[in-house]
Amino acid sequence: MTEAMRKTYHEELNAIRDAIVRMAGIVGELIPRGTEIFLGGDLTEAQRLIEEDDIVDAMSIELEERCYQVLALQQPMASDLRAITSALWLNAEIERSADLMCNIAKATRRIYGITIDPRVRGLIVQMSEEAARLFRLSIDSYAEGDSGLGAALRDIDDRLDELHRDTIQAIFETHQDQGYDLQAGVQLALVCRFYERIGDHAVNIGERVCYMVDGWHPEHTGAMRANARKQEHLDVDELPADD
Amino acid sequence: MTVLLVIVALSSLVLAVLLIVHAERQRTDVIRRVDRMTVQLVADSAPSVSPDDAVQRLERSLNDWRASVVDVAHEYRFRAALEAIPLGVVVVGTDQKPLFVNGAAAWFRDGRHSEAVVAHTIERLIALSGGGSTQAETVQLYGPPRRRLHVTAAPISSDETSLGTLVLIDDVTEQDRIDSIRRDFITNISHELRTPIGAMSLLAETLVGETDISVVESLAERLSREADRLAATVDDLLELSRIEHGGDIEFEPIDLQSVVSGAHDRVRAAAQQRDVEIGVSMPDKPLMVLGDRRQLTSAVFNLLDNGVKYCGSGAGVVSVRARLVDDHVELTVQDSGIGIPRKDLDRIFERFYRVDSGRSRSSGGTGLGLSMVRHIVANHSGRISVESAEGEGSTFLLELPALPPSDGEDTPDDRSGGDMDHEVSPR
Repeated sequence: MTEAMRKTYHEELNAIRDAIVRMAGIVGELIPRGTEIFLGGDLTEAQRLIEEDDIVDAMSIELEERCYQVLALQQPMASDLRAITSALWLNAEIERSADLMCNIAKATRRIYGITIDPRVRGLIVQMSEEAARLFRLSIDSYAEGDSGLGAALRDIDDRLDELHRDTIQAIFETHQDQGYDLQAGVQLALVCRFYERIGDHAVNIGERVCYMVDGWHPEHTGAMRANARKQEHLDVDELPADD
Repeated sequence: MTVLLVIVALSSLVLAVLLIVHAERQRTDVIRRVDRMTVQLVADSAPSVSPDDAVQRLERSLNDWRASVVDVAHEYRFRAALEAIPLGVVVVGTDQKPLFVNGAAAWFRDGRHSEAVVAHTIERLIALSGGGSTQAETVQLYGPPRRRLHVTAAPISSDETSLGTLVLIDDVTEQDRIDSIRRDFITNISHELRTPIGAMSLLAETLVGETDISVVESLAERLSREADRLAATVDDLLELSRIEHGGDIEFEPIDLQSVVSGAHDRVRAAAQQRDVEIGVSMPDKPLMVLGDRRQLTSAVFNLLDNGVKYCGSGAGVVSVRARLVDDHVELTVQDSGIGIPRKDLDRIFERFYRVDSGRSRSSGGTGLGLSMVRHIVANHSGRISVESAEGEGSTFLLELPALPPSDGEDTPDDRSGGDMDHEVSPR
């Protein structure tokens, strides 16, 4: 590979990283924005957010093509190969997070006219803030190549999981006390689930950053355990039968 | 020979100056050209070159060098001016690559998260303005912090030749906030005054020709209620106006306990009616401040009244606590009510601002109480802040400068932390 080609190749790797950070910036803004739309029952803005999801889809497709191009033309190795495969993973996680905010915008229509209990509203705001924080941290870990932060996201996500449980409980209680109709209750529970899923995507991004930086994915540990158990069974089978 | 030595000496001087300039700037083609010419001049300083030619060359070199220094100085001034203005400035060439990015704009270009949205908008507008027309867009960033930016991309040209695009990024957050306050104030005051007037007009029309005495009584009663509501709004406006102008203030040493007690007495009936319990915790010893008794009582009453009104359905609790912390007194009013959405927290001290207009009107407020509190606290060189989450209640913290203890009294350290000694009559 000539010097000029290598420069272009590394420039393209950096450009792909910048494009991921750019797309994540746009998606990260959708989280507080979508929450405000949902709690404010703003149908016009909900429609706009749903349409803007197409922009994220287009960015995602373009990014994927760029990754394939680097794979096909440059045949990256070692850390470069991990960077490209991780970019493909992250692209999917970020795009899916945008879809989830799009679903929350759609839920605005489905529960239009329903007065949400202040406690449930407060918990939804907290879930949104926590999901946005996790998402931002995951992108920070990617941009800075911080595998420590990436690995910590699974534990940081516990707070969002707790909030999810609390909100579902609050929805049940208000459903009983104030007689919400079932449709509204189900939609509220789904919205909470969407925030919780955004947190899970952030955790996935963090784990992928660990793989990108250290070459080790946290799920490799589980895979090793499974292989060890399989090997143990094989060894037992190979033992001579007792007479 | 002397002339030759002079030429060599002058050439060396020019070369030295150019080397310094070159080291500092190393950017403009003009300087590089001067450098080349000077080197050539030194090389040509052989006896075969006539002294006149050498001097002419040197003169040309010096002129070019002076022009280059002037150009560089102009450019530096221009850059410094663009760095100093409170706008993000980006200049891109016809190939859409940046030629100049000032500090404010670099923050967006290199940023992550919200800033990446601005960078995306800048690139999109640059591409669109390539068609020759100015493009503009307002970007709302949800943050935190929440910001609003106006991005404009304008094509730049000279003698009908395109030179690229100029992008300006203007942070209009504060400007929008002020506009919004002004706009909402006009809307709200019109509504607050017109609603009871409209109701009174309709009731009076209905009253005309009505002969059934029970209906007349009912209409008259409602007329009176609407008149009371209007009077309350006007009274509050006048009171607010007085407070805002700082008039009629009589500063005197006051024990905050008596202020809280006075405010508690005023709100007691409303609290009982709404089944809200008011708990007051004060230290044993007096909490002295220098203030106007009437204004301070009004401030504490408004905070308590607010807590009682928004305690929500069912039995609620409003608790008042006061304590001395270093050189100031802290008064906390906490309620277990419906809370305030985070996006409204910055605006609740504005006149007539309603978090939820329907809910506020049903509770009977004029929308001026917290605005009064803010002005009263400002008149007393204090601070007011609020923490709240929807569904979890609100906590207002009022801080006032404490009156220094006279000789023989306890120091603040003796009393801070030793609070909550007794409860004063719940409800």
